[in-house]
Amino acid sequence: MGKTILIVDDSASIRAVVAFTLESAGYEVFAGEDGQDALKYLDGRKIDLMVTDLHMPNMDGLELIKIVRQMDTYKYIPILFLTTESQESKKLEAKQAGATGWIIKPFVPEKLLAVVEKVAR
Amino acid sequence: MNELSTLTSYLSFKLGDETFAANVSKVLNILEMTKITKVPKAPEYMKGVINLRGTVLPLVDTRIKFGLTPTEFTANTCILVLDIQIENDTLQVGALVDAVQEVLEIEPYQILPPPNIGSKFHSQFIVGMYKATEEQFIMILDMDKVFSTEELLEVHESSQGTQ
Amino acid sequence: MDQFKQKAIEEAYELIADLEASLLVLEDNSDDKNHISKVFRIMHTLKGNSAMFGFDYIAEYTHHIESIYDLVRNDKLKLNKDIFDLTLSSVDHLNLLLEDVNLAEEANKTRHTAKLGELMNFVKKINALIESGVTFIDLDAGKVTQESAPTPTVAAKEVESPKAPEPPIVEDKIEEAIVEEVKEKQFTFLVTINPHKELLQLGTNPVFLFDDLAELGHAETYAEIITDTIDFTTLNPTECHVIWRVFVATTQGIDAIKDVFIFVESDCDLDIKQISEDNVFERKDYVNDINKILGISETKSFLDLQYTFETIVKPTVKETKPTKASKPTVEEPKQEVSVPVVAEVKLEKTSTAAKDAAATSIRVPSERLDTLMNLVSELVTTQARLSMFAETSDNTEVTAIAENVQKLTRQLRDIAFNICLVPIQNLLTRFQRLVRDLSAELKKDVELYIEGSETELDKSMIENLSDPIMHILRNSLDHGIELPEVREKLGKPKKAAIHIRAYYSGANVIIQITDDGAGIDLEKVRNKAISKGLVSADTNLSKKDIIDLLFLPGFSTAEKITGVSGRGVGMDVVRRKIMDIRGEVDVDSKQGVGTSISIRLPLTLSIIDGLLVEIDAVSYIIPLSVVDKCYAVEHTKIETAYNNIIVLDGEQIPFYYMREEFNCQSTTPLTEQIIIVRFEEHRIGIVIDTIIGEYQAVLKPLGKMYKKQDIISGASILGDGTIALVLDSNKIIKRFSQHEMAI
Repeated sequence: MGKTILIVDDSASIRAVVAFTLESAGYEVFAGEDGQDALKYLDGRKIDLMVTDLHMPNMDGLELIKIVRQMDTYKYIPILFLTTESQESKKLEAKQAGATGWIIKPFVPEKLLAVVEKVAR
Repeated sequence: MNELSTLTSYLSFKLGDETFAANVSKVLNILEMTKITKVPKAPEYMKGVINLRGTVLPLVDTRIKFGLTPTEFTANTCILVLDIQIENDTLQVGALVDAVQEVLEIEPYQILPPPNIGSKFHSQFIVGMYKATEEQFIMILDMDKVFSTEELLEVHESSQGTQ
Repeated sequence: MDQFKQKAIEEAYELIADLEASLLVLEDNSDDKNHISKVFRIMHTLKGNSAMFGFDYIAEYTHHIESIYDLVRNDKLKLNKDIFDLTLSSVDHLNLLLEDVNLAEEANKTRHTAKLGELMNFVKKINALIESGVTFIDLDAGKVTQESAPTPTVAAKEVESPKAPEPPIVEDKIEEAIVEEVKEKQFTFLVTINPHKELLQLGTNPVFLFDDLAELGHAETYAEIITDTIDFTTLNPTECHVIWRVFVATTQGIDAIKDVFIFVESDCDLDIKQISEDNVFERKDYVNDINKILGISETKSFLDLQYTFETIVKPTVKETKPTKASKPTVEEPKQEVSVPVVAEVKLEKTSTAAKDAAATSIRVPSERLDTLMNLVSELVTTQARLSMFAETSDNTEVTAIAENVQKLTRQLRDIAFNICLVPIQNLLTRFQRLVRDLSAELKKDVELYIEGSETELDKSMIENLSDPIMHILRNSLDHGIELPEVREKLGKPKKAAIHIRAYYSGANVIIQITDDGAGIDLEKVRNKAISKGLVSADTNLSKKDIIDLLFLPGFSTAEKITGVSGRGVGMDVVRRKIMDIRGEVDVDSKQGVGTSISIRLPLTLSIIDGLLVEIDAVSYIIPLSVVDKCYAVEHTKIETAYNNIIVLDGEQIPFYYMREEFNCQSTTPLTEQIIIVRFEEHRIGIVIDTIIGEYQAVLKPLGKMYKKQDIISGASILGDGTIALVLDSNKIIKRFSQHEMAI
């Protein structure tokens, strides 16, 4: 009934802030600490949106996005990536890997919610 | 407390050769035979469930409940939709009967005490007897009690016991 | 955000410790790619996090170091001793900054200015070299004239020019647009969206774009498919071949419109042009005007489009009722039957006024909610009938209408559920508080685990559960869980565990509270009951009987009535409160091991997605949520299976042969279906005759007359009026695993 969001970021405090913001807005949140860890939540359960950082150990965001786009269950879910750069190259790379949109860090909670709303309803 | 004293109308129906009656306040509806969905692994007297305008109604084969042979479906077979009180709950139950007869007006003074023939009678669920004609007696049932128990009730009085 | 600041600082300390460790490795081997990457990543994370939480000085500082290491990791800058020393000394500096995040102390401020200056010198040097075209910078080789470094106004290609700490940018351009002079004046724009084929594969939902445009004012969307260029027989449905034209009337200007497309700019050909200086929709005959612009004589409706498709593509054999022996494949996908993909694209005109600003809430009497849910349930059932009817009719219009009704019903159902059902989560968090406070007070070490917080229940029930569960937890903490020393002596882990699990079982919700404490002391209970005169000393009591004694009013076995439990609130009250909401409480306990209390609640509002199957001409429903896979299997294989275990896909699956279970007498089909269901870690196969399809079942209870029913947990009325029985797969599995253990 409600939407479920998977957040992937190697920073515990970012995960905490994002999870808190999203949960307070009524979303259910799963949090992975890197690409590898995130995969264990992509086990067939309902995930309506993924928000991932790009630079992470074990498996970075780009690789994760590419893998998710290969999975039948999650092929078409919206995927947002977090980026501190406003550089075009990063955005392009992530789009090519299959990302739907982005959120620029730092962000205020309202902004996070607005972008989430933009791609997942 | 005794609802029977307020309403004196009773619906009579047949199970095999015997005629019974139930207070109309307990009868919500009379239905023609309809498709029965059997619920597996239920007691034999639970025939299954039927669809009553969107509600799932449990159906009891009253004959089996009374220790008789199972109901054989004829054109006259009907389902009485009963309003039953069990413990503190009210629920609806469907009861299969061989035929529905008529509505009788029976005053309290006309109800005779139930006979006490050996242990074959569970007198709790029989309110009393009514002399319909010289030869025929109708057993007036307390439908709540009939359906509250899971046991089979032995109603058959004649020696032609089919047990 | 503030509550996370502390957490962010702690994390930062950890990151800096990691940084130091990596640097020490790099000291000996400055070519270690792994650690260079690590340093970069740590800086990147520190920068991002610091900016998030307002540690602007740290953000700025780490930003520069990050840039430096970005060059190093891309082999554009050599990591020499100077850079290394600077980085290492930065570790100390960063630790300092973490202690005084806002540089409140003057001494720290001075230090920071100096350190930052030192860092900036490096950065300037490097930028200068890049500007002059050097592709690999080695600061040790040759001399670099620092004085002639160009001022960093031109953005360096690789190293970003030093930025002042940026406040979080609120990119709400829509608000900016409103500030533009043309406040009240409405313009009409024509937005032409020609997506690249792959648009949908990027997770974009075009409908959101149309909705967003509609929110700017008033919008109408027209779709075009150039059918001649498409070969429908080979068409890949995941590609987008639709062109949309959206007419938008808004006061917010073209930038607001552009903003809607920020994520998809590169994935479609977008054309936005102003077509009028007024609101076209306010014209009386605007439809004609629009048609003129579109260059068409009339627009078609969704129904017309449907018809067009139907004449181009011959409908394939309807898969809703597969014949028994027709599927030769060994494995079938979970959704065996293709449910028509509901077209989300609104091909008809959408007119939506701008959204209301504030969200408001109202109070509604719960009976009204009950009525709402009942009506929704009936609507779902009736809609199922309509769909069934439409499928068998040749009338395309009826089919289209039925589809629309299905879409709407689904949405209505979801919203109604949303209103009436609430996840247990809200309830569960207060228990965490209780456990935490109480365990501290009782000096016991306890961890509370919660599973299934997403399980939903009627709003009305949730509040009634709070007290009973609180009491159960208090009991557990007070009487059940032993003191850490005692646990240690018993060989148990010092930290006790309480699990609260919530899950669905057929038409019920089960909330199970389990602890690994001392369990119920049966002797103590029995003696207490005897001393209270509740039972005579010579009565033979089974374990269950003794446990039932706990539910007698006024019962309490605590030596002293702690302030926590035992005063006036007993298990009898718990049971009564649960029964008030038509639930049941069960207690199970093993001395020395623990106690488990299960609360079983009926789902009064339940519409579940189920798999409709047939066994001996009777329909059954298995909740889709527990279904894993379906396989077709020959009857002979079932018959010859040893110990009711069959091998599928290399896995040994135990199975229940439902025909046998139900004593079905009719002829067994040659091919049957086995549905693999899961519950916790168990997977069991349920063998049935055929699968009919997916079905949205409105669950109806079987009623008290069937309360002894085990594996049938409810019923549902199908579209044609027949009744389907709901199988409780959890019960089946439980029975099976008990059976297993008994062997």
